[in-house]
Amino acid sequence: MTPNPYLFIVIFVGVALVFPLIPLALAWLWRRFFQPPKPGPDKTSIYECGVESVGDAHIQFHSQYYLYAIIFLVFDVEAIFLVPFAVAFTGLPIGAFIAILVFLLLLVEGLVWAWGKGCLDWEH
Amino acid sequence: MITAPLLEVGVLVLGMVILMFEAFATKIDKRILAFAAIAGLAIVLVATFFVAPVPSPNQATGFWNFYTVDRLSVFFKQFALLTTILVLIMMIDYAPAVRSSFPGAHDGLGEFFTVPIFTCAGLMYLVSAIDFIFIFVSLELVTISFYVLVSFTRKNPVTLEAGVKYLVLSALSTAFLVYGIAWIFGVTGQTNLQRITEALATPSTDQSATLLGMVLVLVALGFKIAAVPFQIWVPDVYQGAPTPVTAYLSVGSKAAGFVVLLRVLRPFATLPQMQRLLVLIALLTLIYGNLAALPQGNLKRLLAYSSIAHTGYLLIGVVCLDSNAVVFYLVAYLLMTHLSFAVLVIVAQQTGEQIADFDGLAKRSPFLAFAMLIGMVSLAGVPFTAGFLGKFFIFYAAILQRQIALVVIGVITVGCGFYYYLKVVRAMYWQPAAKIDNISVSTLSRIAIGALIAATIWLGVYPQPILDALKR
Repeated sequence: MTPNPYLFIVIFVGVALVFPLIPLALAWLWRRFFQPPKPGPDKTSIYECGVESVGDAHIQFHSQYYLYAIIFLVFDVEAIFLVPFAVAFTGLPIGAFIAILVFLLLLVEGLVWAWGKGCLDWEH
Repeated sequence: MITAPLLEVGVLVLGMVILMFEAFATKIDKRILAFAAIAGLAIVLVATFFVAPVPSPNQATGFWNFYTVDRLSVFFKQFALLTTILVLIMMIDYAPAVRSSFPGAHDGLGEFFTVPIFTCAGLMYLVSAIDFIFIFVSLELVTISFYVLVSFTRKNPVTLEAGVKYLVLSALSTAFLVYGIAWIFGVTGQTNLQRITEALATPSTDQSATLLGMVLVLVALGFKIAAVPFQIWVPDVYQGAPTPVTAYLSVGSKAAGFVVLLRVLRPFATLPQMQRLLVLIALLTLIYGNLAALPQGNLKRLLAYSSIAHTGYLLIGVVCLDSNAVVFYLVAYLLMTHLSFAVLVIVAQQTGEQIADFDGLAKRSPFLAFAMLIGMVSLAGVPFTAGFLGKFFIFYAAILQRQIALVVIGVITVGCGFYYYLKVVRAMYWQPAAKIDNISVSTLSRIAIGALIAATIWLGVYPQPILDALKR
C-alpha cells in the first residue's frame, strides 16, 4: 500500500511546529529552574547588533540632502537602462552604442551642471 | 534638406549649451543668454520653413510611427517657436523682478531664460505626436518645465501658492490622462491614433469602455486648455506666476492642448455622446469665463478669466471639428495675448497689476497705451482686428453645423467681453494719471510690441496667409 502523497506535507507541518517549539520550551525550563532573577540596566536593555546607538532617532535631516537624493536617483534609473543594453550588447549595431553614449552624455551633463552650480557643496 | 526631428534636436542642444555656459560663466550679464536663446530659436524658426510637410494629415514619418510632420504640426512648431521668442523678450523686461527675489550671488536668471527653451522643445514634440505614449512623454516635458517656471520667484508667497496649486492639480490631471490611455489601450490594444481609428471601426470593439477612456483623456486635456469644470487652478496660478510665464502658460500650453485635442478627438468623433459632451463643456466654459471676468480688478486675473472664455470660443471650433477656424483663432489669440502681457510686464513694474494702476497710461506712454488698446479690442473682437476674424470663422463654422445654442450663447458672451476689456481702455484713456513720469521701453520690446500691433491689424484685414499656410 502506497502512502498518500500529501502525507509528507502533514509530516513537514508537524516537524515545522515541533522544531522551533523545542528550543523555546528548553529555554523556558532553563529559566524556570536555573536562572536567578537579577535585573540590571545592561540586562534589560534592548538587544541590538552593531555599535551602541547615540541620541534620538527622531532628528531633522538637512534639507540639502534631497539634492544628493535626486542626483543619486538619476544614476540609479540610468542603471536600469544600461542593464538591458549590456545584456544585448554583442548583437547590437554601432548606432545603438552611439545612442547609449548620447544618453550617458546627457546624464553626465546634468551632473556637471549640478556640480558647476554648487549643488554638491555641503553648506552648514 | 532639413528633416523635422532635427528641429527639436536643435532646440534641445541650444538649451543644453546655454545651460552649461551659464553654469560656468558666472561673470557675464545673464541677459546675454536670453539674447543667445532668442537668436538660436529664430534660426530654428527660419529652418522650419524649409521642412517639407507630408501631404496627408496624421501620416507617420518616424520614431516608430510616433511622430508626424503634417501641415498642422509644422505650423504649430513655428507657433511654439514664435511664442517662446516673445516670452523670452518679455522675460528680459521682467529680469529685475526675478533678480530682486533672489538675494545673493545666485540670481537664478540663467535658468529663468533657459527653461523655456526646453518647454519649447516639448511643445514642438507635442504637436507632432500621434501616439498616446509620445503625447504623454512630451506633455510631461512641457508640464515639468512649467512647474519650475510657475514657482520661479518662490520667495513670493503668492507665487509659491501658485506653484503648489499647479503642481498638485497638474499631477492629478496627468493621472487621469494615464488612466484614460490605459482604458483605451485595454479596449483597442493600440496606442497609435491611426490604429485606434481602425480598431474603433470594427464592430467587436466595446464602445462604452472606449468612451470612458476618452472621457478620462478629455479631463486631462480640459485641464491643459482650462475648460470648465477643470478651470479651478487658472485664476490663482495665472495671477501668482511671473507675468511672462503666465503669458507662456496661456498661449503655449493652451495651443498645444488644442492641437492634441484635435488629433485625439478625430478617432472618437463618430461616437455621438462625445459631441454632446463637448457642446456642454463649451457652453459652460463660455458662460463661466465671461461672467467671472466681469468683476475682476486685477488685470492678470482678468486675463486669466478671459483665457477661460477664449477656451470656450475655441471649443466651439473643436465641436465643429473645423481645425482651420481653431488654428486661426489660436494665432489671433497668440498675437493679442502676448500684446497685452508685454504691456502688462512693463507697466506692472512701474505701478502695479491692478486695472487702476493703468489710469492715465495714455499720457505717460502713448505707445504702450495704444498697444494695450489694440490688444484689448482684439480680445473683445472689434472688427479690423485678428480677434474679430477669429470669432467670425468660429461662429461661421458653428452656423454651418447648425449648433444654434453655441452661437447664441457665444454672441451674448462676446457682449459681456466688451464690458470688461473696455474697462481697461477706459482706465488708460479717460482716467487721470496718478504719476506723470514717462515709462521707458527697451528697443527690443518696442520692436516686438510694434510687430504684434501690426500683425494683429494685418490679420484682421487680410487673413489669407494663415489660411493658405494650412491648405496650400
